[in-house]
Amino acid sequence: MVILHVLPGIKQINTYEWEVPVGTVANMRVPGKFFLSESLGKLLEPGAVQQLANVATMPGIIKNALAMPDIHWGYGFPIGGVAAFDLTEGVISPGGVGFDINCGVRLLTTPLSKKDVSGRRDLIDQLYQAVPTGVGSKSTLRVDARALDGMMVKGARWAVDNGYGIPRDLVRCEEGGSMKEADTCAVSPKAKQRGVPQGGTLGSGNHFLEMQIVSEIFDDPAAKAFGLANNQICCMIHCGSRGLGHQVCTDHLKVLEGATKRYQIKLPDRQLACAPISSPEGRAYFGAMAASANYAWANRQMITHTVRQVLARMYRIEYEDMPLVYDVAHNVAKFEEHMVDGRRRKVCVHRKGATRAFGPDAPDIPVELASIGQPVIIPGSMGTSSFVLRGTAIAMERTFGSTCHGAGRVMSRTQAKKSLSGREVVANLAKKGIIVRGPSDAAISDEAPEVYKPSDEVVRVVHEVGLSHRVARLEPLGVIKG
Amino acid sequence: MSFEEVSHTADVKIRACAPTLDALFSDACDALMQVMYGNSREGGIQTEIEIDAADIESLILDFLSEVLFVSDVEGIVFSKAKVQIAGLHLHALLDGEPFDKRKHSVGTEVKGISYSGLSIGHDANGYMLDIIFDV
Repeated sequence: MVILHVLPGIKQINTYEWEVPVGTVANMRVPGKFFLSESLGKLLEPGAVQQLANVATMPGIIKNALAMPDIHWGYGFPIGGVAAFDLTEGVISPGGVGFDINCGVRLLTTPLSKKDVSGRRDLIDQLYQAVPTGVGSKSTLRVDARALDGMMVKGARWAVDNGYGIPRDLVRCEEGGSMKEADTCAVSPKAKQRGVPQGGTLGSGNHFLEMQIVSEIFDDPAAKAFGLANNQICCMIHCGSRGLGHQVCTDHLKVLEGATKRYQIKLPDRQLACAPISSPEGRAYFGAMAASANYAWANRQMITHTVRQVLARMYRIEYEDMPLVYDVAHNVAKFEEHMVDGRRRKVCVHRKGATRAFGPDAPDIPVELASIGQPVIIPGSMGTSSFVLRGTAIAMERTFGSTCHGAGRVMSRTQAKKSLSGREVVANLAKKGIIVRGPSDAAISDEAPEVYKPSDEVVRVVHEVGLSHRVARLEPLGVIKG
Repeated sequence: MSFEEVSHTADVKIRACAPTLDALFSDACDALMQVMYGNSREGGIQTEIEIDAADIESLILDFLSEVLFVSDVEGIVFSKAKVQIAGLHLHALLDGEPFDKRKHSVGTEVKGISYSGLSIGHDANGYMLDIIFDV
């Protein structure tokens, strides 16, 4: 077995489940657990397993340090990492959320068909002009200090209240697009300064905006309930909290470094700096993180508004005929209720590159979807499929209602630059009927389909394990890279 | 310039070496700017940064985080950093030019500087740095 070579002592529990036993690194409190297939196991880095074991040393961790099949080597938690902490004994850590707080993804449907969108460079050009993209991009919308406060306190609700959407959009966002625990006083003036000019911008790196077509339906009743049908044209938006969230993470990491020492918490990695959840430092980070998460939801809502305006104008379709399927966060910490040892308990769940996947009848699912489960949006890369899945009861039992968040990189940027040119990537995708626009060749080659694990396989594993079930597959037709 | 980008799957890992700590920090700043904005960077606008930290790792992390902040809010792309370190106090004089979308859109945004994988060492040949930028 390939995975056994990664770190000695790792145990295979069944086909897709692996355990990192206590003792793999010093001071582990619980075992680590990850879900992988044999083929994904070949791509697993020892550093990622080490990081999962590090998470298991943190005070108050419940059951297991978990990682989804898109596990890879990050900083602090591994990417794909999930951990829940006891509210009394446990800690909160920016290392379990990441710099891009509430990096997330949303999907909206349109009444358009393939012939409307396929090969339409003018559409991609118009979207590219309308949505500020790339390093150094600034908003074309009017965000001032007061608006920024609104974004941080009310999230997507602020955006809808200010004309950037319709009330129904909020029902289709995780947390209704707004965490009520936001504390703007815990957000530094520096973070706010970065937030003002970036409201409504996509950012760069792996962030994107894609026009997609539904190419396969796996689960008819669920697809129907989500508003998805074969050959339907959709738009997927992937971005986060921009410089505001990055600065909040940087600022609070510094504060929590001091707190780690003050509360005498021993950690194997400084990036896991943390504080007890109920401590002043822990509460301040949580409040600032929630404000950043809200900013990200408002941001995605503002971009959605811009996309709807472009499509409405170009195709003479109604704004309201482009409903939101759902919006999920994949870098966030939340207070949630879960069954632990047969008892319902409120815990603090960290998801770092992992998606909430609440099963049927769980709280915070739109009423009309209660019997189906929460929609889960999994973005692919530029040339590969994205997926819509639904949350399950198994995820509630085994992973604190969590599943994977994407494909996960397999090739570094240095390798990508050496082996792929942006122009070749664009030409190859054009042959497949996919139009790509980005700020530069480098931005495109950095995110070429070849640098990611196959999204199919990651999704197949979560489906087989039952952490979420496949509902629909979407293929890209036009891509705007950040 | 004496730094290189080392292969790292998800993020950007930089390895730098320099005869002095001052030069090492200056190279790290250069690496950060290159990752974000590419190689074509001129001078003209000067900015100063002062940092105090509890240890050397925090000093470089706080310094680069501050460069990131100033570059973002002022819209300046830095070409050079003259760094002077005394104990755990840092003074840097940065030289740069305004961000120009046509010229500087060849890089990728750095979201933050990570403690994971951060190490500063030295031997008879000078100082060495490994550092990871989240992108």
